[in-house]
Amino acid sequence: MTPVSLTIDGRAVTVEPGQTLLAAARKLGIDVPTLCHHEKCTPSTSCLVCLVKVKTDNGSSRLVPSCATRAEPGMVIESEVADVFEARRTALELLFSDHVGDCLSPCHRICPLQLNIPRMLRQVDDGQFTEAVAHVRASVPLAGITGWLCSSPCEQGCRRGVQDSPAAIREVERFVAEHDSPWLPQVAPDSGKSVVVIGAGPTGLIAAHDLRLNGHRVTVMDRRDEPGGSLWTEVEAGHLPSGTLAAEIDRLRRLGVEFRMGTALGGEMSLGGLTSDHDAVLLALGENGKTQAKDLGLTLVPTGVKTDATTCLTNLARVFAAGSLVKSMRQVVRAMAEGRSAARAVNQFLAGQVVQRLPKLFSSIMGKVSPEEVGKFMVGPSPVARTVPAGGANTGFTPAEARGESSRCLHCDCRSEGHCALQRYAEIYHVDPNRFRGERRPFEQHLEHGDIIFEPGKCILCGICVQLAEQAREPLGLAFIGRGFDVKIGVPFSRKIDEGLQKVGRECVEACPTGALAFKEDYVRQMQGFSSEGRCGRGG
Amino acid sequence: MRLPSTASPNPGAPDVDVAFVREALDQAGRNPEAVIPVLQAFQEHYGYLPVEALRLASEQSEIRPAAMTGVATFYDMFRHRPAGQHLIRVCRGTACHVTGADRVEEALRQHLGIPKDSDTDAAREFTIEGVACLGCCTLAPVVKIEDQTFGHAKPEKAGSVIREFRRNHHAADDPGRSTEELETAPAGAIEVHVGLGSCCMAKGSDRIYHALRESARRNGAHVNIKRVGCVGMCHQTPLVEVTGRAAGGRSAYYAGLTPATAPAVLDFHFRPAGLRQRLGGLLNRTLDALLVDAKEDPVRDCAIDLEAPAPRAFLGRQVHIATEHFGTLDPLGLDEYLAHDGFKALRRCLKELSPDAIINVIDQSGLRGRGGAGFPSGRKWRVVAQQAAETKYVICNGDEGDPGAFMDRMLLESFPYRIIEGMAIAAVAVGATEGVFYIRHEYPLAVKRVRTAIREMEQRGWLGEKLLGRDRPFRLRIMEGAGAFVCGEETALIASLEGQRGMPRLRPPFPAQSGFHDRPTLINNVETLAMVPWIVRHGAPAFARIGTAGSKGTKVFALAGAVRRGGLIEVPMGTTIREVVEEIGGGVAPGRQWKAVQIGGPSGGCVPASLADTPIDYDSLRDVGAIMGSGGLVVLDDQACMVDIARYFLRFTQDQSCGKCTFCRIGTKRLLDILDRLCAGKGRRQDLDELDHLSRQVIQGSLCGLGKTAPNPVLTTLRYYRDEYEAHIEGRCPARRCQALVDYKITSRCTGCTICAQRCPVDAIPMRPYARHEINLDLCTRCDTCRQVCPYDAVEVE
Repeated sequence: MTPVSLTIDGRAVTVEPGQTLLAAARKLGIDVPTLCHHEKCTPSTSCLVCLVKVKTDNGSSRLVPSCATRAEPGMVIESEVADVFEARRTALELLFSDHVGDCLSPCHRICPLQLNIPRMLRQVDDGQFTEAVAHVRASVPLAGITGWLCSSPCEQGCRRGVQDSPAAIREVERFVAEHDSPWLPQVAPDSGKSVVVIGAGPTGLIAAHDLRLNGHRVTVMDRRDEPGGSLWTEVEAGHLPSGTLAAEIDRLRRLGVEFRMGTALGGEMSLGGLTSDHDAVLLALGENGKTQAKDLGLTLVPTGVKTDATTCLTNLARVFAAGSLVKSMRQVVRAMAEGRSAARAVNQFLAGQVVQRLPKLFSSIMGKVSPEEVGKFMVGPSPVARTVPAGGANTGFTPAEARGESSRCLHCDCRSEGHCALQRYAEIYHVDPNRFRGERRPFEQHLEHGDIIFEPGKCILCGICVQLAEQAREPLGLAFIGRGFDVKIGVPFSRKIDEGLQKVGRECVEACPTGALAFKEDYVRQMQGFSSEGRCGRGG
Repeated sequence: MRLPSTASPNPGAPDVDVAFVREALDQAGRNPEAVIPVLQAFQEHYGYLPVEALRLASEQSEIRPAAMTGVATFYDMFRHRPAGQHLIRVCRGTACHVTGADRVEEALRQHLGIPKDSDTDAAREFTIEGVACLGCCTLAPVVKIEDQTFGHAKPEKAGSVIREFRRNHHAADDPGRSTEELETAPAGAIEVHVGLGSCCMAKGSDRIYHALRESARRNGAHVNIKRVGCVGMCHQTPLVEVTGRAAGGRSAYYAGLTPATAPAVLDFHFRPAGLRQRLGGLLNRTLDALLVDAKEDPVRDCAIDLEAPAPRAFLGRQVHIATEHFGTLDPLGLDEYLAHDGFKALRRCLKELSPDAIINVIDQSGLRGRGGAGFPSGRKWRVVAQQAAETKYVICNGDEGDPGAFMDRMLLESFPYRIIEGMAIAAVAVGATEGVFYIRHEYPLAVKRVRTAIREMEQRGWLGEKLLGRDRPFRLRIMEGAGAFVCGEETALIASLEGQRGMPRLRPPFPAQSGFHDRPTLINNVETLAMVPWIVRHGAPAFARIGTAGSKGTKVFALAGAVRRGGLIEVPMGTTIREVVEEIGGGVAPGRQWKAVQIGGPSGGCVPASLADTPIDYDSLRDVGAIMGSGGLVVLDDQACMVDIARYFLRFTQDQSCGKCTFCRIGTKRLLDILDRLCAGKGRRQDLDELDHLSRQVIQGSLCGLGKTAPNPVLTTLRYYRDEYEAHIEGRCPARRCQALVDYKITSRCTGCTICAQRCPVDAIPMRPYARHEINLDLCTRCDTCRQVCPYDAVEVE
């Protein structure tokens, strides 16, 4: 048997006879996406995301699934070309149009600071308070402040609200923030760059934090004597204890952020002078700064100082602006989010990179759920009503209360988040999960028995589990049920999933390319830094 | 889609007895391949598939639970809930759709009080379900209740259809009155032919057949009332032919006879033999006269002259190869087939021609597969012949699933021996010893006749261990499909034969290399095989002389829809669409405009009337966006909405998709979503771009022919009728077909006759004698009944 030589994307490759185009492409290190492919299974050619283009003799070409097409001598294959890319993306978008489930929970997606809220609640529920501090503060560095002041848009998106009332997320966050923990984030080695942040309000503080973590020398200047900016209004109104604010500022100091208080812009402290002494200047002067802006030589538009939406640069070189100075922010958490993206822009600018906005987190979106569907979520969570701190609003949750409230979470996020092949390719192929509008199937999850949880709505019908069960001679096994758009995977004779998978349950979960089959304890493993080896390794 | 219900115990569910399960397994077998016949036995016995029976059967056989469940839920014929006492099947074929099958179903549901979310009435007397196509397209719309077929079932006839069914059902059928007995003609008797194809029978030809036989027996006439196959003139069915000698040299033809009037024809042509019979005849005629309106003279009223312009136009262009001797042969008469050159070709292949020579004949004839794709048959045969394998298979693909097509059913019903001969020739040529007829279960008469024909051949020792008496085995068997359009695809058909879900697989390898049981397998369509004996007898050049450069010979079409003379026709390739529609079919009804022809079914496209001069051959049709397909040709007039037509086909393919690959499973669904929105008046301009874009992606990406061709009806209608799509976005349906976009109105022509109010199934028209009526548009379901029944054309759609 002579080896087979062919070309893929203009590169020659030789494989053993009988090998597939997929094997040939992977031999060249080309990442051909696959979902339904599994080494132990015969190709099911169902997902069709592994399409490649075969040039035919008469000059035309056609797309074939590379996982099942045998390499033939002299074949000319194209993989990394626009129309192949588009076909793969369409296949993925079609799969998402019928994907009933969220990668990320609604609360997580809504949070302007992208805090993984279900994970926080699981950590608290589990009593892992120190781990929770690290996790929460990584997303919300000033969690002490948001714990008091956040308008908690997350709670509006909380599905528990459909059942009774949303989880008390902010209250739990405050509990975490106030947990006595010496934890401080890691600061990168000195970058040799220095940044001045003018304005010590929520926008300026979080920007200073993020820039400092990137190893820059950061000086925060403010005309007031104490840092906090507009947060002082809240302190004076009794919405935020001054001690909490002071503690948060202290954390920044411990990270190495310098504060120069009682220093206003103007006079000898000119913008021009600052830009010559520092590598970048970030203006976070807040709402009141707008009156001063013109004098500083900044261009104004009706909403505030004019900046480039992506780079946050003003009309002046190396001068950035963010927060209410640019556009009025009513919510502290949004002001912080603006500070965060400005810091990111400054950081990229200082590193000489092209400035890019933070890409939106990818997630499949299930949308609104009905009360019946929430009922399906309610199998695990605690049925108790929303917890009110026994000691009154000012004392916050006791550890027992925080844990009790956290156990109300429905865990709408996916157990396979972060190690799901479908999600991974969605990001690579810039998938719009909502390209196709259509009626959504009802949400379903089967977690009544055993260790395995089955969510049919996330199944892409790759058939890997069906084949593995068949190979293992499972007494019942799994079957394709129905035909066409209505095909589902199920256990014969309406039996439960653990009855169908008595021998190869673990193997099937690990082989599942999406979150359709998972272990109930996967969330726990995720919290413990569960690595995805063996689960999405298939992707290459 | 029917899924096993997890709801409370099924009402009316019978107990599952172990003995029957065992019996079914004994009959059908216990190996994994037996799963479909086993399930068919359960379906037949219980009327549905009780889970308990499946579980027991899987315990007592080698059929795995996953296979049992997977197969049981794949095919349409299997129910998972008990059905009512009688099953009503409403045909959703193309011709039925354009003539208002949805309205008929709605009317039947109304009449029987079957709620929207159910398929069975409260008393569990009737269960109603849609069926892809019953293959009686010229009688559209068609409803089948149990084994009774009702043609031209208009919505307002719902009540009378049910009444007629009950009447016939109670008049317990005489079990002796079969139309399927094997008979030998009395020597020298004059023949009277009665067409007994299943569409003729749906129009009552079986009852006429029995009435004539009874009458002949009574008056002792030396006459042979003979069952013949399809005559093709479905628009004239039931058709009775009194052959030459009795009718003075030229055959006399009668259309539209009834069991009551038919004997008069016999009396007219045959004088009763003896005095007693003559007196008896007189008495009978007198009695009949009391029953039949005396003014009626069936002999005069029902006679048709085949030399008249209309029948001449219908028959004139036709060339009969697959349908050779149409309307004259007894489908089951083996001796008669022999007398008409039957098995001459096979005999020649066995005696004179080498396998290679046979293949050369087929190759040189230019025959291409008649199932749709048009692959050169000779090339396919040669590939199979070249494979070195002990066992090879020949499969006759009779899974004719296209809505709007019934050519294969008719060929199987009318010419079973011819198809067997074609298969045997193919087997000899490629070196196969096993043959399988795969016939869809919706064609019970075809199955019955092929089965009888095989048995008859086996009894003479012409099939089985010997072929035509020669020392060369050829074993033939029948597999009944279980209802899945996708099984027309070769690899899905093989999966189905092997007892699996009918899911196609990637080709290559092609079945010709590795097919049934991984052996080389030749799969040919019924019509292709029906051509073979003629080609062998007349030689390749004779066949190749007919047709065009790239498409040789003839093609059988099922001509139906809004055409005046529908029927089964066989025309030379290259005949233009205009010649078929206008000359053969007589055009559309007076006052209507011919708009388009839908050709090729769900894989084909709509060719507008402006392209009527397109010759019907493989290449020309492809150039205009359609395909030859298997031969469904549905004529559309100005009442057809092209967006609705596209939606109709998409709904069909979407429903019939096996569900394996992403592009077909979800892609066709998303295309359908868009079309649904357009028909509901909720379309947006960007939907048209997405339709076009996604269609192309589905074509490119789908695994098998079903998905690769499913968007064709969308693309052709978008190409030729974009203005209609745009009108829907603006909220208008120019053909006034899409219910969400039209309102019914009663004009001043209304005389207050109250007929509409009486017939309205939802009481949306208050009865106001002698005053102009009004329609309550909130109640109106746009069923169109009022417009159809109004004697004054006072109901308008806007």
